[in-house]
Amino acid sequence: MDEKTLPQIVGFLCKWCSYAGADLAGVSRLKMPASLIPIRVMCSSRVDPIFVLKAFLAGADGVLIAGCHPGDCHYQSGNYYTRRRFALTRKIFEELGLDTNRIRLSWISASEGQRFVNVVTEFTENLKKIGKNPVKAEVFL
Amino acid sequence: MKGSTIPLKDNLNNTIKKILKTLLEKECFDAILVPSRVPSGESFTYLLINNKDFLESCTPLPPIMPVQGARALQNFTRRGKTNLKVLCVMRPCEIRASIELSKLRQIELENISFMSIDCPGVLVTRDYIDKPKESDTLYEEVIIQWKGEHLRPTCNACVHFSYKDILSDIHIGVVGQKNHNILLVPLSEKAKAVLGKIDIQCSDDISSWQTKINEISQKKMNQRNTLFSELQGKSAGAENLDKLFSECINCHNCMRVCPICCCRQCFFESSDEVRIESEDYFIKAQNKGGIKFPTDMLLFHLGRMSHMSLSCINCGICEDGCPMDVPVAQVFSFIGDAVQKMFDYVPGKDRNEPIPILTFKEDELREYEDSKG
Amino acid sequence: MKSFKTHKSPDDTIRDMLLFLLENKKVSSIFALSKVHNNNYAYTLITDKELLKNITPTFPLMPANAGKMISRLTMIEAVKSPVAVVLRPCELRALFELVKLEQAKLDNLLFISFTCGGVFPIKTKKDSVENALKNYWTNAKTGEDLQELRECCRICENFVPDNADIILQLAGKDIDNGTSVLMKTEKGAGFLNGMSEQFSEESLESTALDTIGEIRKEKKQKIFADLKTEDFGIEGLVNIFGRCINCHACSKVCPVCYCKLCYFESADNDAGPSIFEIELKKRSALRIPADTVLYHLGRMTHIGFTCVGCGMCSDVCPTNIPIATIFTKVSERVQKAFEYIPGKDLEEKVPVSVFEMKELEDVED
Repeated sequence: MDEKTLPQIVGFLCKWCSYAGADLAGVSRLKMPASLIPIRVMCSSRVDPIFVLKAFLAGADGVLIAGCHPGDCHYQSGNYYTRRRFALTRKIFEELGLDTNRIRLSWISASEGQRFVNVVTEFTENLKKIGKNPVKAEVFL
Repeated sequence: MKGSTIPLKDNLNNTIKKILKTLLEKECFDAILVPSRVPSGESFTYLLINNKDFLESCTPLPPIMPVQGARALQNFTRRGKTNLKVLCVMRPCEIRASIELSKLRQIELENISFMSIDCPGVLVTRDYIDKPKESDTLYEEVIIQWKGEHLRPTCNACVHFSYKDILSDIHIGVVGQKNHNILLVPLSEKAKAVLGKIDIQCSDDISSWQTKINEISQKKMNQRNTLFSELQGKSAGAENLDKLFSECINCHNCMRVCPICCCRQCFFESSDEVRIESEDYFIKAQNKGGIKFPTDMLLFHLGRMSHMSLSCINCGICEDGCPMDVPVAQVFSFIGDAVQKMFDYVPGKDRNEPIPILTFKEDELREYEDSKG
Repeated sequence: MKSFKTHKSPDDTIRDMLLFLLENKKVSSIFALSKVHNNNYAYTLITDKELLKNITPTFPLMPANAGKMISRLTMIEAVKSPVAVVLRPCELRALFELVKLEQAKLDNLLFISFTCGGVFPIKTKKDSVENALKNYWTNAKTGEDLQELRECCRICENFVPDNADIILQLAGKDIDNGTSVLMKTEKGAGFLNGMSEQFSEESLESTALDTIGEIRKEKKQKIFADLKTEDFGIEGLVNIFGRCINCHACSKVCPVCYCKLCYFESADNDAGPSIFEIELKKRSALRIPADTVLYHLGRMTHIGFTCVGCGMCSDVCPTNIPIATIFTKVSERVQKAFEYIPGKDLEEKVPVSVFEMKELEDVED
């Protein structure tokens, strides 16, 4: 694949589930587009909406937050808060005419290497369809 | 001192932009920090540019100063020096503020060069935003006539509007050129070398311009002295000071827009000021019968004065930022002037001259102390 | 509710109430808007009843959000003896949100509020407001739009104070005929017990209030529709926030923006010159100071649920950006999505601080 046409996705992956799942995908030699820039966080609830906004305004075509499935959070209830915060951020995007297809919340467990690959592949395909983030060229941010 | 006469093409800003374009093309600088109109058109901000095509929206001498140039440079180099050779196009007061901020370790001046322009003053930001097109026309007149009733009050009392006592590299002379040309005056060896690289020989006589600058300086000095003696009367004593600041709602905007005020957390917003036990408020209220909320408004102003007036370069942006039209800039310039004179200190003049309260002599200021009896 | 009617103006009525409370030692001090020296208006904490003659609680100006001021007063500890606080509905709502955010304590506070006709922007010259008073109260009675008021006030549907102990019926009423006072809570009735007035039973006159609500709702729909935030996108955001100078005044006067050191002023948000250089390479030009749009969007995500639409932010903006209108609109939508009304119920937690095990399935994958 041509590096230049690949969308850039910033992914916040929780250490205990999603990051481990991503690791598993790697160890299992599963193939997926090289579009994701992973950032490991201890829990998906560490993700402040400002992180998502920063990544988006820095020019990321997509921002992924991935954590443990509800009920399985290593810290009991972190991911429930993540879900609420994500809903808030998504609503604000909607109200301000920003493309909600560019932000995504996925639950990926440590054993779901294939799921991780599916999520990234699907997200990449969607982003290819909607094109580059117009923020990339913006000067007066 | 010699300079170079450049004929004026359509207007001042376009002529300066042509020079900036050449400087970028000939790689004299890696990037230029210059004011630019915002996309919606009714205000200005600073742009860091490395591509000459982006010079289109730029206005080297904008009619207003909503953002202090020193604040922009601080945003860029607060954490360290830049590796790019950057030319900063700013007004004299913004350069003076940048020098002061470098003494406070908020700006790294390595690789930074300055281009200054003769400044007639700026319009009040809010007035401009209400009617941008009319104000643009008004400002063109201001540049030609070199006076204006609609300017920031402190601009009328500013004597540092040209090349004297500022640490600029390339200065652009506008005064007295009757809208026919501008003067490019190199103020440093670096500037001479740069101008040489773009084939500008600085061999013209600029003494008539210098004479005109001196004339206007004298006039401005008189205006300054008049303003200050008026303020002396208006502010003498606690009651008068209270009156002068009576409209203040304690929003701290003046502190926020001030280039010199650089503390991440101002003392007046720290725990000492906002985490107070309720009993303390009641004790104060009982002493006087009642207290205003937010508290400590005069303390804030006097405190800010003690913290920054030695470096106050009277740009006047504080008054622009005030939602209540309190004459903050005028009072602060007046006090700033008095304390600076006391230490024979001119802010922004010399990079190596420390701010007076950050240094000392073992034997000085004996008249203020009491050591006998 | 227990109630009484006076033949006096609203301000005089409140003065009489507060005098009664202070003289009979039912409260140790009062908090209300006053006319202070030099013809200015400011919130004051008063212990001396002589100073009651200066209070002007219903004067249509809000020089600071009273909810934020009471939070300052009770930040560390609750007040030790009763204080009567006179404030507007949005300020009371802001205070309730601050209590949920652990920034204020309500013990020993008696709340006196009124159905609110709105305020003028603080920049309005004082004598203009004083001259416009008659017109202001005529409009407050009918609910007819008064263009000179804060935009937030012209579209406010939450002008009835839900959580006050004592409510004066002002909006929707002819205040020239005297003032109607309702004691909404037992606590309120207890405090005023012994005042010379005879108490009767009355409830809030809802017809006039409904009319006003309708007018404001219509105005809101129009103003929000004109704003077209849904069509902003990045270009629209750059346009509307283009003249922002990053002064953060909006955040400092906002009652629900309570962090002492805001993220956007902390070292965490500082970018080193190398970041600027990288961004410059990517875009060829970069606005400085940077991160203007990020600041507003970030603030919106942080206070989206708790914004009460008081309008202090627009008042202090040095470049007249309609911040209050944008924030009120977006936060209203966000609050509706979670069926949350800020400041209404102390037990109702801010949506980001609670969760259900199964919910919001449409946002997760």
